[in-house]
Amino acid sequence: MIRRSARLAVRLAVRLLPPQLADWGRAMAVEVDRIDQDHAALGYALGCLGGALREALVHPDSSSGLEKDPMPAPGRPDPRRLAVLCAIGAIGLGLVYLWAAGASLRHLAMNGGALALGLLLAAGISGTRSPGRLARGGISVALGAVLLLTALFGISADGGARWVSVGGLSLQPSLILLPVLTLEFARRRDGLSTLAIAVAALALALQPDRAMAGALAAGVAALAIMRPERNVLLALTMILAGLAATLLRADPSPAMPFVDQIFYTSFEVHPLAGLAVLGGAVLMLVPAIAGLVADPENRAAYAVFGAVWLAVIAAAALGNYPTPLVGYGGSAIVGYLLSLTGLPARSQNRAVDWDDVAVQPAQADGERHLRTRLFRPIQFSGAPSSNRIAVKSSV
Amino acid sequence: MMRNRPLSRPARDVLALMAAAGSGWSHGYELCQQAGIKSGTLYPLLIRLEAQGYLQAEWQDAREPGRPPRHAYRLTAAGQQLARENPPLHPDSSALRLSRRPA
Repeated sequence: MIRRSARLAVRLAVRLLPPQLADWGRAMAVEVDRIDQDHAALGYALGCLGGALREALVHPDSSSGLEKDPMPAPGRPDPRRLAVLCAIGAIGLGLVYLWAAGASLRHLAMNGGALALGLLLAAGISGTRSPGRLARGGISVALGAVLLLTALFGISADGGARWVSVGGLSLQPSLILLPVLTLEFARRRDGLSTLAIAVAALALALQPDRAMAGALAAGVAALAIMRPERNVLLALTMILAGLAATLLRADPSPAMPFVDQIFYTSFEVHPLAGLAVLGGAVLMLVPAIAGLVADPENRAAYAVFGAVWLAVIAAAALGNYPTPLVGYGGSAIVGYLLSLTGLPARSQNRAVDWDDVAVQPAQADGERHLRTRLFRPIQFSGAPSSNRIAVKSSV
Repeated sequence: MMRNRPLSRPARDVLALMAAAGSGWSHGYELCQQAGIKSGTLYPLLIRLEAQGYLQAEWQDAREPGRPPRHAYRLTAAGQQLARENPPLHPDSSALRLSRRPA
């Protein structure tokens, strides 16, 4: 487990590094594999991850090469790397608010742990070989089915059944899975993906969950504007029907401390805490805005990403729904990081990309060696992530 | 591009270690252990040293069969000069200890 975490961490470091530093990422991965002690390897890998983050901040992207200019001017950002940095920034600002508001260390640790888990999952998913079209559609339908099972058998509170308990933690599967499911639909738009969206819309109507139904509607509506195809319009119709069903049912959920109504209460804590919350919310949308401006070929994906998360933020501002990333709650953090795997990969523009370095058994004597693969399209997979307070304070 | 800012303590220690190694090659994990710094400090430093012509980096075949090539580093002539101009700040630093070891 520790060794696997070390490899995941260094793979994430490789992914975060700008392309002109790909050799350095490979060097880090080789060194981690050379270290015999698992804990030392993990420490080394986490250090590499920190260094890679720093390099990603200093060199957002450049095709000029460091040899010519050690401090190149920022160019077109890597959407996924930018999203990771924005997520870290937003969660960091959220931690500032939580600390100022008197949240317990457990709250802070839970958000930090969710960040680490989300980063590892995103790195693992990004490094997984992409399955075929049918398998991808099947995965989408399975994710929709998880939401439906949550509606039918999940934990109920205040008339809603939106949560599941995993290892003693209450998770909200829709926050984890719906953004990435919507982005997958934006990419495929085939029959199975449309079916998955229909199942998800039904699940959200049954739960009911106005916030996530609204997020799904916003994402698919943005897609319909840019790609008014039959499947997209069909999906949008079903989603709007589901959203209408959620609006017809009462939602008496009370606001929970550190989770709901944060946009209002944070300014009562301290003006700087309020600004941190607002700044974090804006940061969440930066990858979409940057992509819409800088990458016209993939505007649909950025529009869907931005619309989904803008709707989640708006729902948190308007009602008693979880405030993503800047509030207490790991589901949104993991969901945001998973959804960034649905953004276009910068490596589409690279001839050779070392962004995926994996370790595999290679020798009969048990030695391992690193193999590198050319970039493969990102695919996703995922799993869903008591009393009333415990449920509403779910992570 | 020449640096204008004074070098940090870890940079001076790493330079001293590599200067002491002369034409020998060093590796990332060993440098971290010997200089007592984190990998998150070492790699950005090595990246900048190489970009500015102070460091030579190359992939070398592993001595053990079945192992992947390893990234190895040594100072260029300019790097040796930089190391001489920027000795470790503390006389008891790991770099100095290493340089005083009998060959």
